[in-house]
Amino acid sequence: MSSKTIHQSAYKHVSGASVYVDDIPVHNQLLHGYVLYSPHAHAAIRSLKTEKAANMPGVAAVLSAKDIPGINQMGPIVHDEPCLAEDEVHFVGQAICLIAAETEERARQAAATIEIDFEELPAVLSLKQAMAVQSLMGPERKIERGQVQQALKEAPLRLNGSFESGAQEHWYLETQTALCLPGEDREYMVYSSTQHPSETQAVVSEVLGIPRHAVTVEIRRMGGAFGGKETQANHVAAWAALLSNATRRPVKLRLFRDDDQIMTGKRHPFYIRYEVGFDEQGRILALDVEQNANGGSATDLSFAILERAMFHADNAYYIPNMRVIGRVWKTNLPSNTAFRGFGGPQGIVAMENIIDRIARQLSLDPLEVRRINFYDMYKRDTTHYGQKIKQNHLPAMYKQLTASADYFERRKLVEAFNTQHEFVKRGLACTPVKFGISFTTAFLNQAGALVHVYQDGTVQVNHGGTEMGQGLHTKMRQIAAAELGVDQDRILITPTNTSKVPNTSATAASTGSDLNGMAVKNAVDKLKFRMAYQVTEYFNQMDEQNYTLSKHIMFKNNKVFDATNPDRTISFEKAAQICYFNQIPLSATGFYKTPDIYFDRETGQGTPFHYFAYGMAVSEVEIDLLTGQHTLLRTDILHDVGDSVNPDLDIGQIQGAFVQGAGWCTMEECKWDESGHLLTHSPDTYKIPGIHDIPRDFRVQLLQKAPNEGTIRQSKAVGEPPFMHGLSVWFAIKDAISSIDGHKREPELGFPATNEAIVMAAKQFLD
Amino acid sequence: MTQQISFILDGRVHQLGFEPGSPYTPITTVLQYLRSLPNHKGVKEGCAEGDCGACTVVLAEPSADGKLNYKAVNSCLLFLPKLHGKQLITVENLQDAQGTLHPVQQYVADSNGAQCGFCTPGIVMSLFGHYKTDLSAEREEIEDTLSGNLCRCTGYQPIFDAALKALDERKEDRFSQEEQDVAAQLKTISQSGVRIETTTHYYSFPASLQEAFTEMEAHPGALLLSGATDVALKVTKQHQQLPEIIDLSLVPELKKIETTGDMLRIGGGVSVNEVLEAAQKPFPALYKIAKRFGSKQIRHLATVGGNLAGASPIGDLTPVLMALKARVRVMRAKEQRTMALDDFITGYRQTALQEGELLTHIEIPFLSEQIKIGAYKISKRRDLDIATVSAAFRLEFGAGKQISEANLVYGGMAAMTKHARQAEDFLQGKEWNRTHAEAAARLIRDEFEPISDARSGADFRRIVAGNLLIRFWADDAGTK
Ligand SMILES: Cc1cc2nc3c(=O)[nH]c(=O)nc-3n(C[C@H](O)[C@H](O)[C@H](O)COP(=O)(O)OP(=O)(O)OC[C@H]3O[C@@H](n4cnc5c(N)ncnc54)[C@H](O)[C@@H]3O)c2cc1C
Ligand code: FES
Ligand code: FES
Repeated sequence: MSSKTIHQSAYKHVSGASVYVDDIPVHNQLLHGYVLYSPHAHAAIRSLKTEKAANMPGVAAVLSAKDIPGINQMGPIVHDEPCLAEDEVHFVGQAICLIAAETEERARQAAATIEIDFEELPAVLSLKQAMAVQSLMGPERKIERGQVQQALKEAPLRLNGSFESGAQEHWYLETQTALCLPGEDREYMVYSSTQHPSETQAVVSEVLGIPRHAVTVEIRRMGGAFGGKETQANHVAAWAALLSNATRRPVKLRLFRDDDQIMTGKRHPFYIRYEVGFDEQGRILALDVEQNANGGSATDLSFAILERAMFHADNAYYIPNMRVIGRVWKTNLPSNTAFRGFGGPQGIVAMENIIDRIARQLSLDPLEVRRINFYDMYKRDTTHYGQKIKQNHLPAMYKQLTASADYFERRKLVEAFNTQHEFVKRGLACTPVKFGISFTTAFLNQAGALVHVYQDGTVQVNHGGTEMGQGLHTKMRQIAAAELGVDQDRILITPTNTSKVPNTSATAASTGSDLNGMAVKNAVDKLKFRMAYQVTEYFNQMDEQNYTLSKHIMFKNNKVFDATNPDRTISFEKAAQICYFNQIPLSATGFYKTPDIYFDRETGQGTPFHYFAYGMAVSEVEIDLLTGQHTLLRTDILHDVGDSVNPDLDIGQIQGAFVQGAGWCTMEECKWDESGHLLTHSPDTYKIPGIHDIPRDFRVQLLQKAPNEGTIRQSKAVGEPPFMHGLSVWFAIKDAISSIDGHKREPELGFPATNEAIVMAAKQFLD
Repeated sequence: MTQQISFILDGRVHQLGFEPGSPYTPITTVLQYLRSLPNHKGVKEGCAEGDCGACTVVLAEPSADGKLNYKAVNSCLLFLPKLHGKQLITVENLQDAQGTLHPVQQYVADSNGAQCGFCTPGIVMSLFGHYKTDLSAEREEIEDTLSGNLCRCTGYQPIFDAALKALDERKEDRFSQEEQDVAAQLKTISQSGVRIETTTHYYSFPASLQEAFTEMEAHPGALLLSGATDVALKVTKQHQQLPEIIDLSLVPELKKIETTGDMLRIGGGVSVNEVLEAAQKPFPALYKIAKRFGSKQIRHLATVGGNLAGASPIGDLTPVLMALKARVRVMRAKEQRTMALDDFITGYRQTALQEGELLTHIEIPFLSEQIKIGAYKISKRRDLDIATVSAAFRLEFGAGKQISEANLVYGGMAAMTKHARQAEDFLQGKEWNRTHAEAAARLIRDEFEPISDARSGADFRRIVAGNLLIRFWADDAGTK
């Protein structure tokens, strides 16, 4: 399967020919949408005057909550997220009015004339404040195994503490965008930069008060998404649709970068408290964890995210007695949302810090503590939620990576370097990841496809997944081509469209290729079955001597033939034509649902994941204790993608996820002022990694000969798991600081490890 | 005098007037203009503030030797009139007539340097800009080229690999073949006397200093601009109208770099990129800081004059130029005065410039051997980030080992660039050693009252300000 195939849009990308929502040509009746949002974190709306704006020349519509024909809701699971604020606003950035005008500029000018009388109300602006005032979003959750309290009491050694991780802005290059075209009656065509067209369709139909069949949502590609367009793209689409509905004209709504950063949710900040019991070797005996997530003002996907954090509170380690309690807290901030890893990174980083602390307490290399706590293949192979771990690659990967990265030798070199240097220090860390693959809400694990074969032997493949750069369409094309035995250029993957494949799940949870690949295969299998039957008939009619059996028909090299009798070979297009003349349909739907996964939220037990993906990373950094600047000297990653469908694309995902993860750990910092305004609302102050921030020496390897059972072409999901490799950078920085006094004291290193955090942590030791 | 601007795009000279009814005004950005055309939608907006590079295009202008200079710039910061007399090259222009991809495109695609593809046109254009210079294909140079291009998908490694290959094998491309013709065509476009007057805007390009003063007298309220990297944000971020603009970027007198006896003179209109080149030998500290200034694209546009006249407390050039004891020459129609940079900066975004005055050039005296200079910039991200704190130090030694004069200049620590006076006084007459550096560092931490903001907390600013002096000592002493 792994012949070299580059991203199917690569040539278009480099020549500027790829079409994104904002690039779709629209006739001159297009209107530009604009959103007026709340300047307050919490306030009552006393009055709202829009007349001036509505009467401005060039303004086609000004809408507020009362103008919504359907229901004023866009919460994906819990209906607690108004489309437009009614009498109260709950965060800075909450939409209040929509404006459609001939130009963006005019819309903005109109917005400036809208008069709103607010009465400010007390706001909850941080996780700690929310916890203090008991502002819970919903009931707490629990997963428990063994006798945690008892085991903690009996453990020879104990540690307790807390860990805080911060928000992360998605910073997709293409801001949220939607274009809505009105059709006949109340039909709407919505082009939306969304990861979840079916839900976008649902939300649009709900706010417009029309049935879903009247709304078609289409997306060819997004300019990045990372989870940020899983639910929150719905908002922009709904707003564009409301304006289009009110004006009967095409409306485009594209968020200005600052507005996008201000209005949309981020990765959930977590505050995690724990107590851990362990023995003198560092083996963990018991762990009690309490995870607190900052949900923002509405539920969105917070509970699913919390759940994934709870599932990953163990990361790669077997912990016989373990309790995880999870809570989501409500604050007056934009509703936090999906972001690559979906709670996993937050749960995992806390666990890794626990390991790191245990190691320091015992004067051991943290990697040694990691190693002895890994899940193994004998007895220590069941997670705290009762899922048995099969095909555990951790021990083998540990061996391979420590050797290829020369870990132990470099550990000595780092120590030697540090004894010779006073102001600059080096640090080394190896962190593993075990990441569960599947939506943890079991029913979401389904996908559909629609495949058409045309008489010229070309094929159209539609599936429910969306393309956001990850190369999903490229893989689907490879899979369809391989399964049909035709060249890839015969296969065209069309834009994702709700009228082709309905009721799809989001392209999320790294499941895009797993689910859609299987659905595509399912459709192709149906077509091949039909075609094989017709071709068999055809061969047998031509020559009744040697009987061909349908099961011997093969599809390969653009040919269809009898494997037992190579004389009987026809071209793929000939086979298609035979079907056509025999009045056999050349179109098939495909469907897939992941088997055997379930989770009982009451008992906290089950098998929520189809399988786990594994990986391990070693990073070495150099930090300047005086300036706090760090340099990432080298990173080695070994990652498990099963039998890769496309190794180059998978490596690309790993590299990109690592750098994004390292960004979260080192420089990406969201800050708000005391009244709830985002201070870091543009790339001027919100910094994502640039080319200078990547490892000076960056080595990524895929785990070889590790086919995965029961997935498309024995591959594994790759989108999210490698994000966790970025953590190795934070722990390497911590290691460097800790070396100042010979790893005796625990550095109080903030997260992310900005230059500020590094200098402040180093100060503890130097003063 | 002409009411229209002329530039080359898609192989032909475009003339753009700003008649009533035109969808464009003189403050329309090149990005907005291109995206309004049916065949240039490859140019992307990621931020509209120069911070992402998705909008990168290349401008070619005739050089002295009859060839073209190619520069990658942020089209989101470029007002349309700035295209006048230049060739505008976008990602759509790189393929040749047969549709063959340019090597930079081919390599980026083949190395999987594009995932979502939204950053890709900008990346390709930055690499193309590099391709058309004689800059090396070393790692540092490539990183410099891409310092202004963010990519959220790839982690840059495949882009870097592609760049290495493409730049290593540079050969003639279609632009080399067309170069002479384009240069000749551009020369026919008059560089003087462009003045655009619409019902809402006035935008003029004086072609000499004299003309600039005449313009300034005629339009006393007009906003001056050079690179417009600061000014453009008033439009793209604050949506101001800027009714009257005098653009100094075509004034030849402001673009000179000269060595006269004991100093280097740099015109106010010289770009930071050119400063960098000129400073490399005589003023390594200035070179170092200029290298960390914005991004490659920003450095192509931003000028010394704009940086100093903007008088931002976190402007990068001010501290290092103060430490170098630069003097500033300001001029109005017939008068001129020269002052120390220390006297030029008078407050938060305030200077000694008076109505009708221009900054024509700065003078940097060459250094004697008894002077040690160091400059540092602390920012959250190494590239394309505004300083959290910056510092520039100058220590002069008399005959002995004692410091005869200390200048410790800080940006980001107060409302304006400021000396650490107490520490300066303390160091005077002392030997330059660790004990004294540390003692001075403590004084520095105590004498400033910086603010906490989006970039960092006040405590960090204070601590790191002191640390920087120790870093200077350590660098000087070779202590690691
Ligand atoms: C993305 C981005 C990154 C940046 N990064 C940095 C950075 O790292 N470090 C840094 O210091 N700055 C940075 N800046 C700020 C800006 O680029 C610099 O201050 C730059 O030097 C301004 O020069 P300019 O020619 O573009 O100024 P303009 O925008 O043209 O003008 C700025 C001001 O100076 C005045 N002016 C210009 N020329 C003259 C003259 N000859 N005489 C009198 N007045 C004049 C103008 O009237 C205006 O008030 C950045 C800006 C952006 C958008
Ligand atoms: S749009 Fe981001 S730099 Fe121009
Ligand atoms: S490829 Fe998506 S931002 Fe670079």
